[in-house]
This record gives sequence, structure tokens and C-alpha cells, in this order.
Amino acid sequence: MSFCLELHLQQSEDYEILISKAGFKEAKAVIENHAPKILYVKPGAKVLGARIIGVPPIPIGIDESQSKITLPYTKPCHGTAVVELPVDKEEIDKVKAIAVNPQKNKK
Amino acid sequence: MEKVLILLGCPESPSQTPLALYTAHKLTKMGFDVTVASTPSAAKLLEVSDSEEFYVTKKVDLEKCLEDLEEKEYDLLIGFVHKDAAVSYFVTFYHILNTKSYAIVFEKDPELLEKFLSDLKENTEATLISARAYHNPTPLRVKIDKAFKELED
Repeated sequence: MSFCLELHLQQSEDYEILISKAGFKEAKAVIENHAPKILYVKPGAKVLGARIIGVPPIPIGIDESQSKITLPYTKPCHGTAVVELPVDKEEIDKVKAIAVNPQKNKK
Repeated sequence: MEKVLILLGCPESPSQTPLALYTAHKLTKMGFDVTVASTPSAAKLLEVSDSEEFYVTKKVDLEKCLEDLEEKEYDLLIGFVHKDAAVSYFVTFYHILNTKSYAIVFEKDPELLEKFLSDLKENTEATLISARAYHNPTPLRVKIDKAFKELED
């Protein structure tokens, strides 16, 4: 069964919110400063079964050693949050497949 | 008949609901097939304001609409933008639909208004209709009338 971000956030406590009620640029900076690797996707790209909302290029943080993804999560009345959650390696591979540019590896 | 999607943001700005009804009705009279996508709270305001569905007949949930949206599904996108999140939603719908678009941008803080306009200019080729507005919808209504003249041709 494929991953469903909305369901995971509703039914699991296995995630961390790094920032909430932020502007998109602020959230983007949080992801870029937090994750060991960054992949960028187009607005509306599907990651973990959900459309990713934002201004391009949209960063998705990848931590392969801990198998975690960090992504922006936007709602009309609540702004943008940054959520980090554990995923299967397969989900990380799916993000790699839709990334629009080579991943950035931090020094 | 050309299809229009009107995208509503958070309904906390008092100008949004009357302008959405005005815009929907204006486009319907011009011959467009109009659908309004909104949050449940924005939909409630529309339902009470237009209880007989005289102005808006087609309403869809914003998240559901986004989930299923496909390129060129609508011929025209019109988005109400008065928050940072609304910029993100508009840019996302714009990039998925890849169609002619108008952003109706309003905010009482001039710096925020300028930031929203700058983000939209940088990331879309949408026509921008903007005014410093919060309670009073008239400046935007006048600019909407002027901008939509080109759709009458």
C-alpha cells in the first residue's frame, strides 16, 4: 500500500514539526539548513501521496541514513509547516525519480 | 464553453467572499462555465451568502480539486491571493494547469502586498490585479472589471 501523508499525520505521532505557521521562504530555509541532502521538485509534484504546494523550486530534505524525509506542508489558513517523518527507502527513491535537479550534498 | 476555476484562499479577509460571488457571476454572464474551489470554511461563507446558488452553482473542495487536477483541465485560472499560503497555492495551481491565469491580490499592509506581487511575478506569467484592500472590495471590483474587458473580446 502506498504511503499517504495526510493519513500518517492524522493517525500517527511518528513525525516532527520543525516549524509551523511560517511563510514558504522561511520553511524552505528550514529544510535546506536541516537535511543532509536536498532534492527539488516542481509545484504540485506528488510526494508521499500528497501534492506538494509552494513556489519553485520546492526543497525536499532527504536523510538516507535515518530513512527520513523533510517536506513543506501548506494549508490556506495556517501557512506552511515543515514536517520530518520516517519513510521506506522506496519513497525516497520515488522523490529522486521526480527531482528536477541534481541533489545537493552538504559538506 | 470555456471552463474557469476560481481559487479562494483563507476566508478571513472580508473582501474575498463578495468579490468571489461578483467575479463568478460576471464570468458566468460572459459565458464561462465557473467552478469555485475553496476550503470548507470559505465554502460555508459562499453557501450562506448565496443560499439559492444564484451566483455560484459549482463548488469543489480545494484539497480534493488539487489532488485530482490535471494540465489544461480548466481554460482559465483566477486566484484570490491575500496570504503567503495563497501565493503558494496559486503558483501550484498555475504550474499544474499551465493555462491563462489572473491573480487577484489584496492586502492592507503595503510591504506584504508588494512581497506577494513580487513572488507571483517571479514565478508565474499571470495577469496581476491588485489593490491595498481589506474591508472595501470596490477598488478591486473596478480593477477586475477593467482587466476582464479582454475576456469579452
